[in-house]
Amino acid sequence: MATLAIGSLLQNPRLSSPRGQKLLLNLKPLHSLDLDCSPHRKLLCSRGACFSNSNPCGKFHIVKASSTDTAPIDTFSSADILYEQTFPVNRIEKVEGKLLIRLDQSKEQLNWRLTIGCSLSGKWILHWGVSYVGDTGSEWDQPPKDMWPHGSIPIKDYAIETPFKKPSKDDTFHEVKIDFNPSSAIEAIHFILKDEETGASYQHKGRDFRVSLVNYLEDDGNMIHTKRSFGKWPDAVEQLPNMVLKAEASCDSKNENRRLEGFYEEQPIVKEVSVGNMVNVAIRKFPDAANIVLHLETDIPGDVVVHWGVCRDDAKTWEISAVPYPPETTVFRNKALRTLLQPTGNGSRALFTLDEKLDGFLFVLKLDANSWVNFQGNDFYIPLSSARSVKGQSDSESEETSGKAHTDGIINEIRNLVSGLNSEKSLQTKVKEAKESILNEIEKLAAEAYSIFRSSTPSYPEEDSDADDAEPTINISSGTGSGFEILCQGFNWESNKSGRWYMELKEKASEISSLGFTVIWLPPPTESVSPEGYLPKDLYNLNSRYGTIDELKDLVKSLHGVGLKVLGDVVLNHRCAHYQNQNGVWNIFGGRLNWDDRAVVGDDPHFQGRGNKSSGDNFHAAPNIDHSQDFVRKDLIEWLCWLREEIGYDGWRLDFVRGFWGGYVKDYLDASEPYFAVGEYWDSLSYTYGEMDHNQDAHRQRIVDWINATNGTAGAFDVTTKGILHSALERREYWRLSDQKGKPPGVVGWWPSRAVTFIENHDTGSTQGHWRFPGGKEMQGYAYILTHPGTPAVFYDHIVSHHRSEIGALISLRNRNKIHCRSIVEIVKAERDVYAATIDDRVAMKIGPGYYEPPSGPQRWSLALEGYDYKVWEASS
Amino acid sequence: MLSRLFGCFILQLNRIRLFAGLPLDVVSGGTVNQFRAISAGLKALKLLGLEGVELPIWWGVVEHESMGKYNWSGYLTIAEMVRKAGLKLNVTLCFHASSQPKIPLPEWVLDIGKTKSNIFFKDRAGKPYRGCLSLAVDELAVLNGKTPMEVYQDFCESFKSAFSAFIGSTITGITMGLGPDGELRYPSHRGFAKSGTVPGAGEFQCYDKNMLHLLKQHAEACGKPKWGLGGPHNAPAYSELPTANTFFKDHGGSWESPYGDFFLSWYSSQLIAHGDRLLSLASSVFSDSAVNIFGKVPLMHSWHGTRSHPSELTAGFYNTATRKGYEEVAEMFARNSCKIILPGMDQSDKYQLKESLSSPESLLAEIGTACNKHGVGISGQNSTVGAPDGLKQIKKNMLSENLNDSFIFQRIGAQFFAPEHFPLFIEFVRKLNQPELYSGNLPTKEGTTTTTDSVHTRSNLSIHVQSA
Repeated sequence: MATLAIGSLLQNPRLSSPRGQKLLLNLKPLHSLDLDCSPHRKLLCSRGACFSNSNPCGKFHIVKASSTDTAPIDTFSSADILYEQTFPVNRIEKVEGKLLIRLDQSKEQLNWRLTIGCSLSGKWILHWGVSYVGDTGSEWDQPPKDMWPHGSIPIKDYAIETPFKKPSKDDTFHEVKIDFNPSSAIEAIHFILKDEETGASYQHKGRDFRVSLVNYLEDDGNMIHTKRSFGKWPDAVEQLPNMVLKAEASCDSKNENRRLEGFYEEQPIVKEVSVGNMVNVAIRKFPDAANIVLHLETDIPGDVVVHWGVCRDDAKTWEISAVPYPPETTVFRNKALRTLLQPTGNGSRALFTLDEKLDGFLFVLKLDANSWVNFQGNDFYIPLSSARSVKGQSDSESEETSGKAHTDGIINEIRNLVSGLNSEKSLQTKVKEAKESILNEIEKLAAEAYSIFRSSTPSYPEEDSDADDAEPTINISSGTGSGFEILCQGFNWESNKSGRWYMELKEKASEISSLGFTVIWLPPPTESVSPEGYLPKDLYNLNSRYGTIDELKDLVKSLHGVGLKVLGDVVLNHRCAHYQNQNGVWNIFGGRLNWDDRAVVGDDPHFQGRGNKSSGDNFHAAPNIDHSQDFVRKDLIEWLCWLREEIGYDGWRLDFVRGFWGGYVKDYLDASEPYFAVGEYWDSLSYTYGEMDHNQDAHRQRIVDWINATNGTAGAFDVTTKGILHSALERREYWRLSDQKGKPPGVVGWWPSRAVTFIENHDTGSTQGHWRFPGGKEMQGYAYILTHPGTPAVFYDHIVSHHRSEIGALISLRNRNKIHCRSIVEIVKAERDVYAATIDDRVAMKIGPGYYEPPSGPQRWSLALEGYDYKVWEASS
Repeated sequence: MLSRLFGCFILQLNRIRLFAGLPLDVVSGGTVNQFRAISAGLKALKLLGLEGVELPIWWGVVEHESMGKYNWSGYLTIAEMVRKAGLKLNVTLCFHASSQPKIPLPEWVLDIGKTKSNIFFKDRAGKPYRGCLSLAVDELAVLNGKTPMEVYQDFCESFKSAFSAFIGSTITGITMGLGPDGELRYPSHRGFAKSGTVPGAGEFQCYDKNMLHLLKQHAEACGKPKWGLGGPHNAPAYSELPTANTFFKDHGGSWESPYGDFFLSWYSSQLIAHGDRLLSLASSVFSDSAVNIFGKVPLMHSWHGTRSHPSELTAGFYNTATRKGYEEVAEMFARNSCKIILPGMDQSDKYQLKESLSSPESLLAEIGTACNKHGVGISGQNSTVGAPDGLKQIKKNMLSENLNDSFIFQRIGAQFFAPEHFPLFIEFVRKLNQPELYSGNLPTKEGTTTTTDSVHTRSNLSIHVQSA
C-alpha cells in the first residue's frame, strides 16, 4: 500500500510536491562541506556535536495543504505534507594539518633561523618567548628585540606574539621566521600556537613547544626531538638551501661546547572546525492509507545511521515501530532500530512508514562508532500527533517564562525517567545524571533567589543579634578590606575575544556573589594596544575589547547590586605612546594625558625617555612611566579618583608593581582611598641546580618589602605560596609547606593580612600557561588557600570548571567558620606526603595522599569536605 | 509504584509532608515583593521535592484601610504562582502584628485603639500590647459596632470567596491566627530575650479593663470577690527570674494554693475558650472545603524543669508538675477537628541554658502525648530564632511520634538561600529521603508493600520509615 507510493516519491523527494516551492520554503540550501584545502589538510574524523547553534528551531513550521487546491492529478499531489522541519546541526570536524619546525643556518651563514610553519588555514599567531642558559623554573623571558620578526607585539615582559604570514598570497600555508644569533645565551625558544579566529591555542603534549638551542639539555618531555632527518619542506615554500647537518656555532670561545644542529620536524596539528549541517524531516500522508510517511534527509557527508524509535505518549518512551522498515534496518537491543541512510547526490536519506496513531518519532544520528548527533542535547523529536491535529507551537511565550520552561523540562525529565524505570531496570546511571542536573538546577535557582533577597530585602536584624554576631574586632586599614574578603578574578586571557565580556560577566554576577565571593577583580578597562588591556594607551578612554564604558558602569552597578566590591585592574607602570619623537621612537602621548617624553624613564634606551632613572624593574614592551615626576603622579591620582567616582570601582589590582617604587603606590592609594588594593609583585623564586630552595625567605622578603614601601596600604599576591605549592604538590614534598619556624612558608606566614593567596591567574594559567599550577591538584591548592589566613583569590577558569562546586563548598566553609585574613594557623603535620593544619581551632584540614585525622581533643571534629587528596573538618562545638 | 519511584526525588511518600514558609512580607500593599526571587525559590523547592509553601496573610495588609475593604490581589498572585509551580499552599491567617519586618494591625483598628486602649492586652503596669486584640473583647462590639469575632468571620468569608478557585486544590491547609505571633497564648513575654541570657518568667496579662471585668465576675461567682480585684500580687515581672517572688516558688509557692488554682484555672480557660471560638469559626466557614484547619500552640519551654512551669503559666497553659494542662488544649482542638502546629522542633535540650531549666524536648513529648491521646494531628515548625544543630533535631522529630502531619520550615529569604545555609537544607531534605532513595534504585516487591503500609498505618510509623 503506502510503500508502493514511496517508490515514486523516492525518485525526487525534494521536488515531489507540485507546490514544492511553497512547501519547502524553510529548506535552506545545502551547505556543502568546504573541502577546499591544502594538500596537508584532510578530514580526520567528525565527532558528533550535541548542540545546535542558537538559531531557534523549536518552532514547528507546519504547512497545511489546502484541499481545495486544484492540483494536477498525479501521484504526489494526493500526499499532503503534514509537517516539515529543518534542524540545523553543528558538528565539530577535526581537520588535521601539520606544524613544521625547521632550524637551519640562514644564508648569511652567521645567523640561524627557526622557521615555524603551519599547513592549516586560520589566523595563526605564534606566542613565544625564550629562556636563557642558567635560567631555572619554567618562566619565559621576552626575546631580545633583534629577534623580533616584523609585526611582533610584546606581551607583558615575558613573551611576544608574531602573526604567521603566507609566503605568497594564494598559499594556505603560513609561517613565521625567527632569526637569531647562536652566540647569545638563549637556551631555548618556547612557543605555543594560537588561532585568532577561534581563540584556541595549541600546545605540545599539554605544554609549550620548546626548541632547544643547546644540545646538552636534558629532555624534560616537551622538547621537540632534534631529529637529524631532513623532511621535505613543502613545495609551497621557497626552496631553501640545503641544511647543514651539524653546524658549529663557532663564534664564542666560552661557549665551546654549544653546538647547534639543524633539524626539520613535522608535528601533527588538529584543528576543530565547527561545521553546520542540517537534517530535514517531512511527513506526508496519503489519502486512504493508514500510514504516514516520514522523509528524513541530511547533508552530513559519509555513512549516517539513524537510530530511531517511536513513542505513544508525551513521555517519549522509545518503542520499536511495527514493520515495514526501510532497507538496511537492524534492530538494536530490542530498544531501537537502526537504519543506514541511502546516499543521494550530496547527503543521504531514508523514508519511514509509520502508523498514524503513534505520537512521535524519535531519533538520533550516528556518524561512526562514537559520534552521535542529537538535537540540543535531546533526541530529535518529531511529533506525529501534530501531524494529525495541527497544533501551533506558541512562540509568543514571554521572556519571563523561559526559565520556567527550562524547569518544566527538568520536571518532564523526571517524569520520563520514572516511566523509563518502569520499562527498563538498569537506568541507575541515568537516575544519577538526572539527579545531578536537578541539583544543579536547584542550586542555580537558589543562587538567583539568594541574590535578589539579599540585595533587596531590608536586612532583618535579629533583636538579639548584637550579642552573637560580635565579630572579632579588627582594625580595618585602608586598602585591605574587612579581613573577610574572598576575591574572584573575573576574567581570563581569552575574555577579550567576544568583545562583550562586561555583558557576559553581568549575567554571572549573582552567581559569583552567591558562591560567597565578596570582591571581584575586573580586567584592565583602558584602551590598549594589546586586546587583553595590559598595554594601555589613552587612560581616559575606557572603551576596550571587554566592552564600552557604559557597559562597564552597568556591570559595576550590577556587581554592587549583588554585594560585590569591584577592583579595577590599573596599569600604572607603563603606557603606550600615541606619537613618535624626532627619532621615530614612540614616546609622545596623546589623549587627555598628553605627556611628552619627560614622563618616560630615562634608563630604557628603547624609548629614549627624558625622565629620571626608573625606580624599579623595567618592562620592556612599552615606555615605562617615570613616577618621580610630579605632574605624572598628579595626573595618575586624578585618574584613579575619576575611576573611583565615574565607574564606581572600590579598589585596585595594580599591575606590574615591580616596575616602580612602592612609595608612589602609597601616594596613589592614600589619594584614591580604595576599599581593597592588591599589587602584582611577581618575580622568580630561588632555585639551586634546578630545584626549588626550601627557604624562600628572600623571595617573600622582596614582596613584603614592597608592601612595606606602600606603608601597608596595599596587599600583594602571594607568589611565594603559589611557587611552594607547585613543588610541594608536584613532587610530593609537602614538608615544604612549613618554614623553619613552623609557619606557612609564603607571604601569608609573615604578613597574612596583606597576602592575597592564589593558585592561578590569567598569566600563569588560562591559555598562556606561563606557570601553570600542577594539573589535577588545583583542589588541593584551593583547600589550602581557602582554609588558611590571607585573602584567597580564585581564578575565573576554576569557578566555571568542574571544580566549581568544591570551591563553592570551601568558600562557604570559610565564611561559615569566619576564617579571616588573620586567622591563626597551626601546622600539625608537614611531611613528605601529607600536610595538615588547624585554623582558629575551628577548622582542620589536610592535603596530600598521606594519612591524617584530627585528634579528638576539646573539640569534636566532623568531616565537612573531602575531595581528591584533601579533607577539611569542622569543630562541632 | 509510580509515586514510589518519584520518591527518588520527591518527599511525597515520606509520611511527613514538607513545607517552607514564604517571607512574612512577601506581599505588601497589593503587590508581591521580590517576585523573581519568589518564583525562582518556588521552582527550587519544587525540584527539591517539597510538598508546598506556607503563606502568611496579614489582617493588617488585606484589611488595611477600613473595615470590610479587602485587598487580596498580592496574595492571589502568590497563590497562582504556587499553583503553577505545582506546589501546595498552607495559608496562615494572621490576626496579629509582626515586629520584624514591621507589619502592624490594620490602621483603622489601631485608630480605635488610640482612644480605647482596652481592646489590647495589658500587663500589670497597664502597658498595652498592640500586637493583637485582647481575647476579652472577642464578643464585645468594639470595632465600629462589630465584635472582633464578627470581623474575623467576615475576613474568613471574604478570603474563602476570593480564593475559591484554590481552596481544596492548591490550598490544602488554613492556619487560624490565635494570638500573639499567631499562637494560642497571652503576650506574657514582650520582645525577644537576648540569646545567652536566661529568660524571665513572663507576666500575666489580665489587666485590661475587660479582662479585669471578667475576672471580677468569675470571682464573684466563685464566692471569692476579693480574688477578683487583680492578678497575683506576688508574681515576678517579665524578665525577673521565677524565684524573684513567691508565686512560682517550687515548694509552697502561691501557684499551689487555692487562690493560685482559682486564678490559673480561670486564666487558662479564658485562653482555651478564645481558641475554641476562633477554631470553631474557621471550622464552620471552611466546613464544606477540603482543607485542614490548623492552630498554633507555643512551645514555652523555659523553666519547664521547675515544678510550676512559670513560662507556661503566664502564657496561659495551666500545666505544672502536678497537672496535665495540655489535655484540655488537645481536647479543644479535637472538638473542632483541627490540627496543631508546634514550633520549636529544632530546639534540643542540650543547647539550652542550664540555668533556665528548659527542656523543649520533654515539653514537646508532653504535648505530643496529649495530642495523640485525642487524635489531634501535629504539624511541626522550627523556631524563628534558629538553633544549633537545628536540622538534625528537626529530622529526629520528623522520625518520631511528635510529628505526624507535616513540617513547615521557617522561612524562605536571603538567609534560607544563602550559601551557608541552603546546601545544608538540601542535604537535610535528601537525608530525609534516603530510605526512599535506596528503594527507588532497587525496585523490589517488598519495597512496594512496605511503602503502602507506611501510608496507612500510623502506630509504628518510625519503624517503617527506617526499614523502607
